[in-house]
Amino acid sequence: MVGALAAGVPLFGPGIEAAELTALFPLLTFIIIVFFGSYLPLKGAIPGIAATGGALLVSLWGVADIATGAGPRHETLLTFVEGVAGEGVTLTFGILIDPLAILMLTIVSLISFLVHIFSLGYMNDEGEIDLPRYYAGLSLFTFSMMAFVFSDNLLMSFVFFELVGLCSFILIGFWFREAGPPSAAKKAFLVTRFGDYFFLIGVVAVLGTFGTAQFAGSESFVTIATEALETGATEGMTTFLGFGEQAWITVIGLLVLGGVLGKSAQFPFHTWLPDAMEGPTPVSALIHAATMVAAGVYLVARMYGFYVLSPTALSIIALVGGFTAFFAATMALVKQELKQVLAYSTISQYGYMMLALGGGGYVAAVFHLTTHAIFKALLFLGAGSVIIAMHHKENMWEMGGLRSEMRVTYLTFLAGSLALAGIFPFAGFWSKDEVLYETLVHGLGGSPVLLVAYTFGALAVVLTGFYTFRMVFLTFHGEPRSELAEDPEPVRWNVKFPLAVLGVLSVVAGFLNMGVLKDIIGEENLFLHEFLDGVTMDADLDAAGLSAHHYAEVLESNFAAGYEVAGLSPLGPGALATVLAVVPVIGAWYLFRGPDVDPVMTKLGGLRTLLMNNYYQDEYQVWLATGVTLPIAKVANKFDQGIIDGLVDGTGGVSLFAGERFRRIQSGVVTNYAALLTLGFLLLVLIFALVGGWI
Amino acid sequence: MLIELLVAVTLASALVVFMAPDRIAPKLATALSLLPLGIVAVMWTQFDAAGNALRAGGEPAFASTIEWFALGQYTIQWQVGVDGVSFPLLALTVVLTTLAMVSSWTPIDERQSQFFGLMLVMETALIGVFTALDFFLWFVFWEGVLIPMYFLISVWGGPRRKYAGTKFLLYTNLASLVMFVGLFVLVLGLGGSLTEISLPAITQALEAGELGSFAGIEADTLRVVAFLLLFLGFAVKVPVVPFHTWLPDAHVQAPTPVSVMLAGVLLKMGTYALLRFNFTMLPDVAADFAEILAAVGLISVLYGAMLAMAQSDLKRIVAYSSISSMGYVIIGLVAFTPHGMGGATFQMVSHGLISGLMFMTVGVLYNTTHTRMVGDMGGLADRMPITAWIFVAGAFGYMGLPLMSGFVAEVLVFIGAFESTVIAGAPLFTAGAMFGIVLVAGYLLWAMQRTLFGPFELETDYEVGRAPLHDIAPLAVLLGLVILLGVQPDLIYEVIQDAVAPIVDSAGESLIVSTDSLSEIGGELL
Amino acid sequence: MAVSIEWYLFLSAAIFSIGLFGILTQRNALMFLMSVELLLNAANINLVAFSLYWGNLTGQLFALIVIALAAAEVAIGIGIILTVNRNFDNIDVTEAATMRW
Repeated sequence: MVGALAAGVPLFGPGIEAAELTALFPLLTFIIIVFFGSYLPLKGAIPGIAATGGALLVSLWGVADIATGAGPRHETLLTFVEGVAGEGVTLTFGILIDPLAILMLTIVSLISFLVHIFSLGYMNDEGEIDLPRYYAGLSLFTFSMMAFVFSDNLLMSFVFFELVGLCSFILIGFWFREAGPPSAAKKAFLVTRFGDYFFLIGVVAVLGTFGTAQFAGSESFVTIATEALETGATEGMTTFLGFGEQAWITVIGLLVLGGVLGKSAQFPFHTWLPDAMEGPTPVSALIHAATMVAAGVYLVARMYGFYVLSPTALSIIALVGGFTAFFAATMALVKQELKQVLAYSTISQYGYMMLALGGGGYVAAVFHLTTHAIFKALLFLGAGSVIIAMHHKENMWEMGGLRSEMRVTYLTFLAGSLALAGIFPFAGFWSKDEVLYETLVHGLGGSPVLLVAYTFGALAVVLTGFYTFRMVFLTFHGEPRSELAEDPEPVRWNVKFPLAVLGVLSVVAGFLNMGVLKDIIGEENLFLHEFLDGVTMDADLDAAGLSAHHYAEVLESNFAAGYEVAGLSPLGPGALATVLAVVPVIGAWYLFRGPDVDPVMTKLGGLRTLLMNNYYQDEYQVWLATGVTLPIAKVANKFDQGIIDGLVDGTGGVSLFAGERFRRIQSGVVTNYAALLTLGFLLLVLIFALVGGWI
Repeated sequence: MLIELLVAVTLASALVVFMAPDRIAPKLATALSLLPLGIVAVMWTQFDAAGNALRAGGEPAFASTIEWFALGQYTIQWQVGVDGVSFPLLALTVVLTTLAMVSSWTPIDERQSQFFGLMLVMETALIGVFTALDFFLWFVFWEGVLIPMYFLISVWGGPRRKYAGTKFLLYTNLASLVMFVGLFVLVLGLGGSLTEISLPAITQALEAGELGSFAGIEADTLRVVAFLLLFLGFAVKVPVVPFHTWLPDAHVQAPTPVSVMLAGVLLKMGTYALLRFNFTMLPDVAADFAEILAAVGLISVLYGAMLAMAQSDLKRIVAYSSISSMGYVIIGLVAFTPHGMGGATFQMVSHGLISGLMFMTVGVLYNTTHTRMVGDMGGLADRMPITAWIFVAGAFGYMGLPLMSGFVAEVLVFIGAFESTVIAGAPLFTAGAMFGIVLVAGYLLWAMQRTLFGPFELETDYEVGRAPLHDIAPLAVLLGLVILLGVQPDLIYEVIQDAVAPIVDSAGESLIVSTDSLSEIGGELL
Repeated sequence: MAVSIEWYLFLSAAIFSIGLFGILTQRNALMFLMSVELLLNAANINLVAFSLYWGNLTGQLFALIVIALAAAEVAIGIGIILTVNRNFDNIDVTEAATMRW
């Protein structure tokens, strides 16, 4: 293939033409494992690795195809529900492969592949039972995410979005024999289901409004909406409840956003994510880096052409994102468990992606999604390695000094941490900086809301650097603070290999899109930007309404969001971001470097308590469920049993009672019957006499 | 003649089973119930109905008409036939009966020949309900369902079986009376224009505007009165809040296989009749009352879900959530859109499968644990993994998980209801009803977490082990069907669409968009 | 000289009233049975009287039927009374009241 590239011969087609295999491989694996899992060697790991490896190859081939001019591919695969001619929508499953989709497919298959390999070390080597269920869950998870990624319409997205939720339920609750994991699984599903409730209304509203839920093409709802606003041609669009077009688009956008906030764990739906740490660590890596949490942000990117039509929706996205980035980072400051810190950093990092999307930085968001997938998967797998070594102890205060015993883990974890903190030139620096830069220039262009969001984002950079390196120093530096830490269990190749791959990628992935240096190296050398813009493709991605360029154009149109770009070199903000990132790292080094670490965070006092308790967010949500809904249900039940059923039983009761009394005239004494007979006859005569007028 | 054969074979099987000794009755009855299943399978391959059986131009499949006797001016006929609405329900009936019989092998341990004989009698009557097109015939079958059901509940049921059985019988029978009066209001109003009381004849006469006045009451009033009486009659069967209280009692007391039939098929009789009578015969009245009916559906959805949340008996949970699911059917029907009505019909089938699955699974757990209370057991997934995971799958099906039939049904209902032009403020009603999917997730997840997961706990003096294969098999079959319909809904949705489209069309012209007043409210919101 | 119809009616009414009084007051089953006989015979007198009055035999025919019926009734009645006697050791009609609800 390389040869063909060099020769300038477009060798495209097979990769993207076969892209559905990325989902079908794992699906097949899932079916195999469900039925034959316990008979397979390694309990289903082998087919899982084969399937995700195959998917990775197909996706990489697809990337190559698009880089050499093929695509986009848009095709209906399966008609789900045939609409009635002229009335009622048709529901289909289709495949849409464009640069965004193929990029995401690559990320998902890569992370899933590495997670499968890591699982050999984390699950098989640790002697876990029920492994077929674990690997079946992973396969189904990968399948759902893949299908979600290449969905060509919103309904299909919803379908697989929900399946992703199911898989997270299965995997988070994998250790169901304990009390914690099933509860966490329930919470994850329930909170995201609450978000999906709004999403489903959004899907239904899109179908009702536009009669189609396609993402791309001239018949897509995105195009219809754009045209309705641009030219006022509203015949393809039916609004409801008397809303105007723009307002209704905003409403739909916000409804769909509900699902996004749920899955991407944005405020106030973030509470499920830290609890989800109850699942096996490789699952956390998969959920956080590439699948479930990424699904939300990916969905906004997927239908970005729709969101750019609504300034209100964009502002809300940016604000929620910026706020979440900051808010989650504050909570990460005080956590004592390794995975908890990472969990809050995930929430925070997805906040950045939302911030970018709301701030008009489509490429920046996708870029950060990419780099974050790599370094967060790395950090989780690294944490998993530490957890193996520590015999499943997660408290960082019992660690320390692991650096010397675990070279590979330490070095790769450090690379991931530098990326997370946004230190030059690691991956996270480039993407986070671009997120902030895009928000800033659009904010300075006349959107003060974005400046507020930017401020949150910039403050979060400081916090990120601090909590990240607090984690690194506590875990790996200083002296061992427990016996376990003095003699950690060694890990095998199946743990080190994924770490090494991801470690290298976290160093180099940033060079995909060196936005800070765009004035120096020229815009055409921003590979990711060019890729997402469809520059490498023969077909016109603008026409399909999927290019970065197209989004920017609509974004700046007055009929749509109406953003303006302030002229500002990226170098200044880049330098600022670097300073903001480096200073707290030094601070963390100063505080946590030594052999005897002072638990300095306890000095925060009441604030620390507040942060440890996550601002009591969980409490109020639990209260909403058990303190509000449940009592209402109980009252309803009382009402039902007492009043409604009481009326029913009462009717029966009155009849019974009346009968009970009435039957007493059946005394069994013949004389009484005779008397009644006589009286009855006399009564009849009397009545006839009265009615007949004899008297 | 396949329908006649179907009825005759099922009834004959029932007689055979009644005479068989108890020892062989379960397997014999199950084997015999494969006959109707086979006949319906043959019918499936030859099914060629077009349109709605009741409306002009509709051609029911396997139709046959035999004059029976004369009743005054009316000819009573043996008139049967199936169309796209009734055929899926017919298929549901025969499938569920066979599976329910297999699931009875374990729990039914006395008077087997009578139990299985009654099940077959009930199947006969249910087949009749879904195929009869003459009102008299239909009514005979309709009432005929109650009798075996009454005995099945009050002989083989739980501790309060007498109460539950009697309540069920009296309540639904009273409702039948109301419904009967309702239909006769129409028949009498139609007067001389009617020579037979077959459903198509009544429908078409009503459509042709033949309804005159009766006993000095205007035709318009008659319509409304008839609609209300019919609705009340069927509302008990569906059941619609507030006529639902017989349902949890009957479900809890009935033996599991009977609950399966009760939830799976008997409730569908109510919605089927609503569709056949109220919405096909009197679409204009239904459209006039659209908001009220939608509100009734909405209340059923939310209130049923709230009640389910307050229960701790697994069977009661599923029973109340059936009320919730039936609310979706009402909302879908009243929308008068292709997907609304089609989705509602699809939901009937889908809910039949899923609720059957849930009840059966609860039954399998009960066979082993001898309790149904959520608090009494925990961590069952450890001892009964297959049953537990099927329970999980069924519960997610109930929550409307995509690629299972419940999702298709619900999403179609939502799509249909959202764009309804009949209901003022349809999107708000739809959004309200959709909140049901959150509530259902809440209580089912809670119940699963408590019973299946966590450390194993259950006080027994015997070893809790896996369920026997014949208990699991029907669950697996049902789960397979749920997933099949979830992935390929067009297997039945196409014929459903074909049959409901004429109703939607007929209502279409007379209906006027009445969203003006609400549009003003909406406009002020933004 | 023919007796006028009123006298027959008076006689019939008197016998009927005596019979009715007997039914309402007697506790002895035999007396009860006799009272019933009186009621029937009161009716018979009416039937025969009107038959004579109208010169029509239908009434007499009915009277014959009633007499036959009364005979049958006595047979059954005495059978019942014997059974009552066997079960309750007396023939007081107010005591044989166990066959109710």
